[in-house]
Amino acid sequence: MSEESSVKSNRKLVLPGDLMETKSKPGKGIFRSEGRIHSSVVGYSSDRSGYINVNAIAGRYSPKVGDKIIAVCAETGPSIWRMDIGASFNSTLHHSESGWKVPFGDTARFLAIGDAIWAEIFMVDAAGSHQISLKKDDCRKLYSGTIVKVNPTNVPRVIGKQGSMISLIRDNTKTRIQIGQNGYIWIDGEGENIALAQEAIETIDREATSEGLTKKIEKLLEK
Amino acid sequence: MSNDSVSNLMKGHMESLAKEGKRADGRGINEFRKVKIETGMINTAEGSSMVHLGKTKVLCGIKMLIGTPYGDSPGSGTMTTSTELAPLADQSFDPGPPREQSIELSRVVDRGIRESRMIDFDGLCIEHGERVWMVYIDLHILDNDGNLFDCCTLAAAAALSNAKIPNVQHGIADKDVKLPVTCWPISCTFGKLGDSVILDATSDEEGVMSARFTVAHDENGNLRAAQKGMNGAFTDAEIREAVKTARASDNVLREALKGIQE
Amino acid sequence: MAGQTDMELIKNGIRMDGRKPDELRDVKIVAGVLDNADGSCYLEWGNNKIYAGVFGPMECHPRHKQKADRAIVQARYTMAPFSVNDRKRPGLDRRSSEISYIVSQAFEKVVMVEEFPKASIRVDMQVVEAHAGTRCAAMTAASVALADAGIPMRDMIPACASGKVNDIVVLDLNKEEDNYGQADLPLAIIPSTGEVVLLQLDGHLTPDEFEQAMDLATSGCMDLYKKMRDALENSYGGKK
Repeated sequence: MSEESSVKSNRKLVLPGDLMETKSKPGKGIFRSEGRIHSSVVGYSSDRSGYINVNAIAGRYSPKVGDKIIAVCAETGPSIWRMDIGASFNSTLHHSESGWKVPFGDTARFLAIGDAIWAEIFMVDAAGSHQISLKKDDCRKLYSGTIVKVNPTNVPRVIGKQGSMISLIRDNTKTRIQIGQNGYIWIDGEGENIALAQEAIETIDREATSEGLTKKIEKLLEK
Repeated sequence: MSNDSVSNLMKGHMESLAKEGKRADGRGINEFRKVKIETGMINTAEGSSMVHLGKTKVLCGIKMLIGTPYGDSPGSGTMTTSTELAPLADQSFDPGPPREQSIELSRVVDRGIRESRMIDFDGLCIEHGERVWMVYIDLHILDNDGNLFDCCTLAAAAALSNAKIPNVQHGIADKDVKLPVTCWPISCTFGKLGDSVILDATSDEEGVMSARFTVAHDENGNLRAAQKGMNGAFTDAEIREAVKTARASDNVLREALKGIQE
Repeated sequence: MAGQTDMELIKNGIRMDGRKPDELRDVKIVAGVLDNADGSCYLEWGNNKIYAGVFGPMECHPRHKQKADRAIVQARYTMAPFSVNDRKRPGLDRRSSEISYIVSQAFEKVVMVEEFPKASIRVDMQVVEAHAGTRCAAMTAASVALADAGIPMRDMIPACASGKVNDIVVLDLNKEEDNYGQADLPLAIIPSTGEVVLLQLDGHLTPDEFEQAMDLATSGCMDLYKKMRDALENSYGGKK
């Protein structure tokens, strides 16, 4: 009864309900109805390797096992911490995944409300609850610097092709930067340099889809 | 992208920046964010305004109704201020009856307007002891990125400056006249961040500051209202300094308000 | 609905505001107007002005409303005191509660709530100026806000009302037509399937008139749907 907007394959802006004309298998941002495939979100379609996905432009962070993220302690329990990672729900850090020897009830001494960590998502269950770990790789508590938040879908833009954008920012501001897949970004260095790096990152977040962004950031960093 | 948990790192960073007179968004510690004022957009209201202060957005509507005066002031109109913390403005604004935050906000804005005698209440008398105009200032918060006090006071002043008394609709006279207003109160709200005092805090800054101080001045540089809030403290010197700073910094808002007059 | 009136709301096929019977009032839709909300929309429809904002999916509060296997949609419709000529006292009244409830129900049909167990999706609709048809305008704005927030849905939901004035079935009643007309039928549909998710009727329609009214409201919804899509495409540039 309606004029369905059918979309061919790749890199087109699609809206919820749009019909995807493809023989690929459904991936994320997709739903099936009466044998046909539709987009479920506002996003850009990506049809390759036999899968059709729609990468949502907006939305809270969706945790994936293996993602490195920055988490901020929101609550402490006798043997766990509840951590804000910008997802629909808070994540859990269990004392056994902290790498510390934590006496029962003493968790706040190791990580208090408002403290931040660089951690990894190590479990996501079928019901959608997730847990993080401090024991992997370079995961650790963060003691200095500041945290900037961007839309998780803009993380690739902040990183740039093969890390070109983030290297540009790091080198020009002489800061240490770690980018969480959840859009939380840690910046450390001298006060003024942190402020400049923060400005660059926030500009990318605001203007992620516009052209000439790299030039704009280069200009900004020359200050 | 603001969230409930502001990290301690961010707090430390903001405090050390403030010591050097700077803010996380590049402003100085006594600088207002960009302000934008529009008026007259709501046709069902007697006066209206929309104010943007940085990302904070407040819509104000003025309604004027006829009612009976208070027993102790039979020749004066009345004024009531209320604020709605619309749930869409902030994840933490739960729907429900007004909370202390909203009540404090209404009362501080009300005081700023009332004490500056912006409205001539005696001029709102229709029939002594029987009928007067009742002015309702309704502030609708649409987006909260901090400093609702100053944004609301500005929105109320802008809406009042644009209001017309609805004589025709209520059969009082055959012409609507502008609501006569004198004296423009401008409020400046400061926050205690570590050992520094900052003006016009964002939501993130409000999440880490320990005390708040609002002061309203009229255009002659006289104080009209003040309020200290939150559970921290300012030193005596900080308060006096803030009051001086307010008089120097409020020009920006005053100019913006003047800019919308005919 | 006053119903019986001598008022001539439509003369020689032209309505008081100059529209033909099947014409919509001017509609302007802008997505992404608020910074805090996860998704937002500002909508003008005739003289109606509405803001819609969405937060979520997020943890459901109060806890007892949580559902173990899916998210709930908590929609809230309120009118600002200055949105109507006779100032409205702040707070939720019965009409606003009813609209809030039926809008929540309608969205639970299209939003993929199964993907977010125990969560809540909060939809807030603020009417800042009202001129008839506010529930349709609010729902339309809310649909755009949900899409703007990245909430997965089967489709967006346009809503539009038709009615009857001076025995003629018309699309999109304005304030006078709503006050003095003979029927008011708000309708909301899922464009890709044609399913009806909201329908109310206030007034008097013969079976034929009802069919006409449904057809008109449906075509109004489809016109609206196009504008909703344009608003989102404009917001995101439509290119990569």
